[in-house]
Amino acid sequence: MNFGAPFDFAAGWLQEHVVLPLLYQFGFMQWEEWSFGWSLFAVYGVAQVIAAVLICWPLEHFWPVERWKDHKAEWVDVLYTLINRVGFLPLITFVLFTQIQMSINGWLADQGLLAPTLERLVPWFEGRPVITFIIYAIVLDLGEYWRHRLSHVFNWWYGLHSLHHAQRQMTFWSDDRNHVLDEVIGFLWFTMLALIMGVPPLQFPMLVLLLRLLESMSHANARISFGWLGERLLVSPRFHRAHHGTTAAGRMSVNYGGVFPWWDMMFGSADFSPEFAATGDPSAEEALATGSYWQQQLAGLRRMLRELVA
Amino acid sequence: MRRFMMLLPLLWSFAALAETPKTVLVVNSGEASLSVIDYATHTVLRKIPMVREPHHWVMTPDGKDLIIGDTVANELIVLDPDTYDIRRHITMPDPYQMLFTPDGTKLVVAGLARKQVDVYEAGTYKLLHRFPMVSMPSHIDFTPDSSTAFVSLQGTNKAAAMDLRNMTVKWVAPTGPAPAGIMYHNGQLLVAIMGSDHVDILNANTGATVGHIQATNGAHQLFISPDHKTLFVNSRIDSTISTYDATTYKLIRTYRVPGGPDDLIFTPDGRVWATLRFVQKVGILDLQTGALETIPVGRSPHGIYIKGAVNMGGDNK
Repeated sequence: MNFGAPFDFAAGWLQEHVVLPLLYQFGFMQWEEWSFGWSLFAVYGVAQVIAAVLICWPLEHFWPVERWKDHKAEWVDVLYTLINRVGFLPLITFVLFTQIQMSINGWLADQGLLAPTLERLVPWFEGRPVITFIIYAIVLDLGEYWRHRLSHVFNWWYGLHSLHHAQRQMTFWSDDRNHVLDEVIGFLWFTMLALIMGVPPLQFPMLVLLLRLLESMSHANARISFGWLGERLLVSPRFHRAHHGTTAAGRMSVNYGGVFPWWDMMFGSADFSPEFAATGDPSAEEALATGSYWQQQLAGLRRMLRELVA
Repeated sequence: MRRFMMLLPLLWSFAALAETPKTVLVVNSGEASLSVIDYATHTVLRKIPMVREPHHWVMTPDGKDLIIGDTVANELIVLDPDTYDIRRHITMPDPYQMLFTPDGTKLVVAGLARKQVDVYEAGTYKLLHRFPMVSMPSHIDFTPDSSTAFVSLQGTNKAAAMDLRNMTVKWVAPTGPAPAGIMYHNGQLLVAIMGSDHVDILNANTGATVGHIQATNGAHQLFISPDHKTLFVNSRIDSTISTYDATTYKLIRTYRVPGGPDDLIFTPDGRVWATLRFVQKVGILDLQTGALETIPVGRSPHGIYIKGAVNMGGDNK
């Protein structure tokens, strides 16, 4: 059974009835060869947001850690999510990744060399995309662990990343509230690792979206722990909430893992204490917590510059 | 009735062409695989894994090797044309469209993403010359004497002619928006204009536009029937296959083929098999009745190969 068939069908429909007519109308038909990838990216993005809402909203509604009367501060996180997952950002990500990969690997081919891929290292993986996908996901999550940890080490970088930590009303929408420069650094980091491993272009967006779906769930305002064993297999809302705790902002944080807690256990940053901490960054200016999208972006930039000149 | 009579010579020529094929091979560009379809029962027999993103195929001049170009893997994958067993891999940057010159001495490869047209020595696949292109070289064709290669430049609304004897660019000429399929036909150059609704007719010696053929929106690919009497034009936006008299360019019939017809092949029973890229299927079009049967294949099917049938014009000649 092909579980991807409904997504392929939806992407094909979107390509035929929306994307290509728009490209045709506005004189961009030269990009038609890539239009299926773009469409698939958008379909996965929408599906991921729907899945996050269907799974996380009931959890937050029935088992909340905190209840708030005013939900205004959460709406900007919804905007971040829509921009990052179904807007232009995924499309730009796909196009850039494809172009970078074609440039580097094509240059290598000119030298008579082939870029490394899992299948070339272990030929048994050829024709087993599900297995290679899982391996890529695990390695990329390890890469994300170190990127995230380093963003707490360098003060200028944390100046940007504090936008993510400033939210005092953390929900599953909060995963995408990031400074755009922090997103760019994250993209370059993730892309570099994916290129080294030879991730196929059409798997790249799926990997981004799957990892981020799981990360959405770990941001949920839900009193959920996976138990002794489960907490050590997959990042739970409780585990990640400890990372967002008011006492864990900045250099002193814990639980950097996005999907798997293994890296925190391996590198000595795991905190399995059972508390559900209050979230936020007491050192962040108010605009970072409750400002509009642009106010938050400017405040993050100001904080980064302050740290750079300090 | 008149349309049927016009198609009769075409059907006869199909029947005379080749033995009944056993299988059809479809290149699934979006999932790195080939689908093998039983020609008689129209069932998918198996899938063969490729590496990253295969698009088109080309047969070696001696007919012994079937070559698939995997663009993202930067490889040619050489298959046995009967069993489809993988024989070997050849490193080659961005092999998107590939054609051997009619004399069989050179392989010309258009790298859509890497913006280059490479000329290789057939057999050794040693790079003889690279023509850097400003943007998106897409489809290729040649003069019958193999002296000149033509390429559509999808990103710059131009077409180019390259002299393959002294490896120089003969001319670069403007076309309509987003030119795609290109075909040398009766001393002229036909260029399908994907960003519009027509086929440009260029003077093959100078590149000057001398006329156009009205098509439907998103004209993408050009094929000539095995008897050279009928021109086929595929359109991506309106999802049609139109047939024209190949001499007068008079429209014979337009078939509605939902799903974005791309590459096509002619089979001995007088039908046309086309990859339908948007709906992950192959369509089998009956040219007499216009009936369309579809077979589910892989994601974004692009190239299509059948042993024993003749495939002329456009991608594979």
